[in-house]
Amino acid sequence: MDTIVEIRRLVKRYKGNINALKGINLEIGKDEFFVIMGPSGCGKSTLLKIIAGILDYDEGELYIGGKDMKYVPPHKRDVSLMLENYALFPHMNIYDNIAFGLRMLNKDETEIEKEVSEIMKLLEIKGLEKRYPNEISGGQRQRVALARALVIRPSVLLLDEPLSHIDYRLQRKFASLLKDIHRKISGTAFVLTTHDQHHGLSLADNMAIMNSGMIEQVGKPEDIYMRPKTLFAARFVGEINTWSGEVLEISHDSVWVKTSIGVLKASRQNDEEIPNGQRVGYIVRPENIRIAGINEKADNTVEAVFEGMFYFGHYIELVFNAGGNERIKITTPTYNNLDLKINKKYTLGWSSRDAKIVSKPSILEGVDIEDLIYGR
Amino acid sequence: MYIQRYGKYLLLLPGIIVTGFFLVVPVILIVVVSFMQYFTMKSPTLTLQNYIDFITSPQTPTILANTFGMSIAASLLTLLVGYPAAYFLAFRIESVKTRNYIISLLLVPFLIDWNARTIAWIPILGEYGAVNYILQILNITREPVPLLFSRWTLLIIWLQTNILFMIFPIYLALIRIDPDLINAARVLKAPPSKVFFNIIFKLSLPGVAVGFTFVLVNTLGDYITPALWAGGIQVLGLSIASFAANFVWPYAATLSTVLVLIAMAVLFILFKLVDIKKLVE
Repeated sequence: MDTIVEIRRLVKRYKGNINALKGINLEIGKDEFFVIMGPSGCGKSTLLKIIAGILDYDEGELYIGGKDMKYVPPHKRDVSLMLENYALFPHMNIYDNIAFGLRMLNKDETEIEKEVSEIMKLLEIKGLEKRYPNEISGGQRQRVALARALVIRPSVLLLDEPLSHIDYRLQRKFASLLKDIHRKISGTAFVLTTHDQHHGLSLADNMAIMNSGMIEQVGKPEDIYMRPKTLFAARFVGEINTWSGEVLEISHDSVWVKTSIGVLKASRQNDEEIPNGQRVGYIVRPENIRIAGINEKADNTVEAVFEGMFYFGHYIELVFNAGGNERIKITTPTYNNLDLKINKKYTLGWSSRDAKIVSKPSILEGVDIEDLIYGR
Repeated sequence: MYIQRYGKYLLLLPGIIVTGFFLVVPVILIVVVSFMQYFTMKSPTLTLQNYIDFITSPQTPTILANTFGMSIAASLLTLLVGYPAAYFLAFRIESVKTRNYIISLLLVPFLIDWNARTIAWIPILGEYGAVNYILQILNITREPVPLLFSRWTLLIIWLQTNILFMIFPIYLALIRIDPDLINAARVLKAPPSKVFFNIIFKLSLPGVAVGFTFVLVNTLGDYITPALWAGGIQVLGLSIASFAANFVWPYAATLSTVLVLIAMAVLFILFKLVDIKKLVE
């Protein structure tokens, strides 16, 4: 796929020498739906504003469509941005808000009218033309902001946390609307930031996990979910069980790790050199753990006491205690009627194929594996 | 129960008493007196004669043009000088501390007595004043230029005495503009000039209107400065003062009523054009 945005070793410093971005490398393809995911304050918003040209950067390079953007002001970039607070112009009605960008591009009024009407139809906000931003609902404002950013047909559409200020039902609706529109209009790459893993995973063609101004991992959602490169990335997407341990033995396809709940076997996920005795993180997703008797193929088994459960509608999360405050989480569809007794001991098992080891806690220097796992 | 419900309005009472007794009642009195032939409370005969005299007086057009012309000119000049200053303060100085220092510096002239401030113009604009001195040193003029006692003197003095009332409301309007609105306009392909005129200036209009009102009202009511420095131009305030001083109170009241009415009309038009609610929202 052709690249539209290329970022190399990008560094941004704020006053007081705080590094907001510490050397970002990123490539975003034409027509791609790219999601940048990370906790608040990780620098994802800063990165979007730099791509849009609102913020300057201190080191590194930024190319859009192959052109160096260092000295290109925002109004000359082939980029549009939907801001987190929508930033609709309060003194203009909805029509004028959406038409703003086209007017700045000096299109003639008949063409503007046609394009505004088209985009309003696409986003189902027809009829709001004469209203003012403070007279419409939050969901409508969001669509107007999207229409305004999209109507100028940029090569890159940046969406800064578009899903964070509306209630859950609207979030799902807006997310599928975004996916829909991305499919309908070709030639525009969508770059969206979010701190919500559900939206991130479900929307992205490709995604990047950010942490404190650095990128932990870039890849397809299923790659990051199934084969996380760092413990941070593993814990940021989806629920996960993690234990710290010491590598005991390595074969060509398996690793044995000594942890506080026993010796556990995991599959080797890449060709990374893992010396014996190294401290690593052992990870297994809660949907891969079974209660013995249900899955005979398990080659890892642990005895644990059932402590309680969380009900989520379509699935439940079961919490077990394997002794010494080591919790094990299991998720299972609600229709599995398990009838477990609190404080009773069960044998839990999982296949080593579903378990991985991660030797790097984070891409950042100086993060201790145990600090990350036990949240110290 | 009534106290709980309506007690909050008690807070308005002192203000209502003061404005009632010292503004509303006197204004009503002035309007009533303006319809009298002589000022007497015993058997007042109401008449329109004062207004007819005012309209038919050959001096009236000049006086009105002087009064409102000079006040509007002063307001425009103050706006022209004050807006860039407010813009600079709001967008070019990042540290709030520095901004506050500059604003407090603008207040310094108001700490000086009015008389001293007025007389201070002589060593600045006078025949042997600083400006003429500099002009002669730079060989721009040989002889001292008469800078005092003209319409320009009046404008310059009004500019100096009113600039803060223009800068401050505009500054307040500017710092309330969400920076993301500016960012959005820039990303939506607006070059800097259009960002300014389409977004920043339009959103600061309520501040402009308030500043304009302050300066207009201030200068309309000020007749001493024109009397002292304007080289003998006649303004409405000056006429009112001289008629009142000669006990022709009904005619002075008529002129006052006209002044207030026209000023209100100007402000009404101004606020029709600009939505003042935006500033207090």
